[in-house]
Amino acid sequence: MKKIVTLNVNGLDYETALEPRRTLAEALRYDLGLTGTKIGCKIGDCGACTVLIDGVPSSSCLVLAIEAEGHEIMTIEGVADGNKLHPLQEAFVEVGAIQCGFCTPGMVLTALALLKDNSDPTDAQIRRALSGNLCRCTGYQKIVEAVREAAKRMLRTC
Amino acid sequence: MSYWYKPERLMRLPQFDYHAPGNLVDALNWLRDNEHLNVRILAGGTDLLVDIRGKAIPDGHRPRCQEHRSGAWHARSSPPAEIDYMLALSHIPELRTISHDGNRLLIGSMTTIAELEDSADIRTKLSALSDGAAQLGSPLVRNRGTFGGNLCNARPAADTAIPTLALSGKLVLVSAHGERTVEHDDFVIGPGESVIKPDEILKEVIFDLPDNPSASAYIKLANRKALEISVVGAAASLTFERNDSSPGSTEIAGFGKVINARIALGAVAPKPLLIPDAGKALIGGELTDETILESARIASEKARPITDHRGSAEYRRMMVEVLVKRALTKCRERMLKQPVAEVQS
Ligand SMILES: Cc1cc2nc3c(=O)[nH]c(=O)nc-3n(C[C@H](O)[C@H](O)[C@H](O)COP(=O)(O)OP(=O)(O)OC[C@H]3O[C@@H](n4cnc5c(N)ncnc54)[C@H](O)[C@@H]3O)c2cc1C
Repeated sequence: MKKIVTLNVNGLDYETALEPRRTLAEALRYDLGLTGTKIGCKIGDCGACTVLIDGVPSSSCLVLAIEAEGHEIMTIEGVADGNKLHPLQEAFVEVGAIQCGFCTPGMVLTALALLKDNSDPTDAQIRRALSGNLCRCTGYQKIVEAVREAAKRMLRTC
Repeated sequence: MSYWYKPERLMRLPQFDYHAPGNLVDALNWLRDNEHLNVRILAGGTDLLVDIRGKAIPDGHRPRCQEHRSGAWHARSSPPAEIDYMLALSHIPELRTISHDGNRLLIGSMTTIAELEDSADIRTKLSALSDGAAQLGSPLVRNRGTFGGNLCNARPAADTAIPTLALSGKLVLVSAHGERTVEHDDFVIGPGESVIKPDEILKEVIFDLPDNPSASAYIKLANRKALEISVVGAAASLTFERNDSSPGSTEIAGFGKVINARIALGAVAPKPLLIPDAGKALIGGELTDETILESARIASEKARPITDHRGSAEYRRMMVEVLVKRALTKCRERMLKQPVAEVQS
């Protein structure tokens, strides 16, 4: 039986009727139309569906949408400021950390949470933070470089 | 192909209803009143929401990791689970606490793996548990997965279970009818099976903190640093006699002979395995290279590993010796690094 659930996503409240078995990843994509969140493996292995729940990176395929009620959810759609890309997104583009793009939303959100906690991480800390997000194209080197570059720019601007 | 194999049935989770009580008493009463239903308890969901999906490895398919092996391979396919209700523990704040009670550390079952990893108290007082938490899955899994879920899932390689066994953690199981406390060694019966009853909830795990100097460590061997179930895991927990002998003595300042030692192994038996003889080999003497090697050798003899896609029985047995040695060496390192004043507190 469907239940009425209010999800707070990127600062907006969305009221929607959901089956309890609906995962957060499914709800974001199919009910709210926020298709930036990708669904890869559905079993927590790949990290493509990463969103931030109260700022904490989480695999949205392993969270029931109904369990996300009352929490602040951030998806990749909430990262840019209007048409202005976030420094992290800019760095990903410029450094060439994106090929097919499927892992990128999860990578960016995980990196965003890392930089919030640690504004100047070492390569080892970046790799550890991103270790749950798999990329099958770029081989990680460029992704680590992009996060390092973004950290540098963000430190400069503040 | 069996009847249930329809792609669309695998796309989504199976149907269930959902209930999220706001406190433990309500949850226990609800479990008692709904005994006739098929209920699953939902903690972080990182095991449960994976397990209840139907699995479709088509008949006849042989995974690549099995290609070089001889013998039959049985495709593991299973229909989605049939569930009436998910009972979510996420709205019960009393289960998500880490607290002190005199000489005991109490860890609530809904404490996340990341919270275990980040707790300074656990890092210094229950180091092996901190080691295990830091190596479980990936950051994404640690952020949602819980201590209680890892223990209740009862897998033989569970990364917080092996340290819990070595550190003599006691599991507090509660139901509407009362409360009981179970040693970890008696909690797990076999792979995925524990003594927990359908109307019971794991409330917390109690660790007695010794007055004497102590140290513990957990070492995990896996093919990669993240997202990997261990090939072998070894945890050691040691308590020492207090020793204030003068400098120049062969004994390390601040602690002397080993008075209690527990060695636990993961992924080498159908359940987390305590090796009492490996501990006994250390008790009564100082922690030296010789006693460490002897203990590691005994552990390797007593392990009961099997061959599977993660490693052969022979390899696992050899690795037990190496890992126990490393875990004990790490304990010694930790004792030496600890300032003496802290050891005595
Ligand atoms: C990609 C991935 C990688 C992983 N890697 C590892 C790893 O390296 N090492 C490892 O050990 N595990 C690993 N796991 C398994 C899992 O993440 C852990 O076991 C986790 O701690 C489970 O906790 P949970 O809160 O998610 O449990 P859930 O999935 O919510 O529950 C697990 C089981 O325990 C029961 N349960 C949970 N809490 C209670 C309670 N308080 N009382 C009674 N019953 C309860 C549930 O009913 C269910 O049967 C991995 C999982 C994934 C998806």
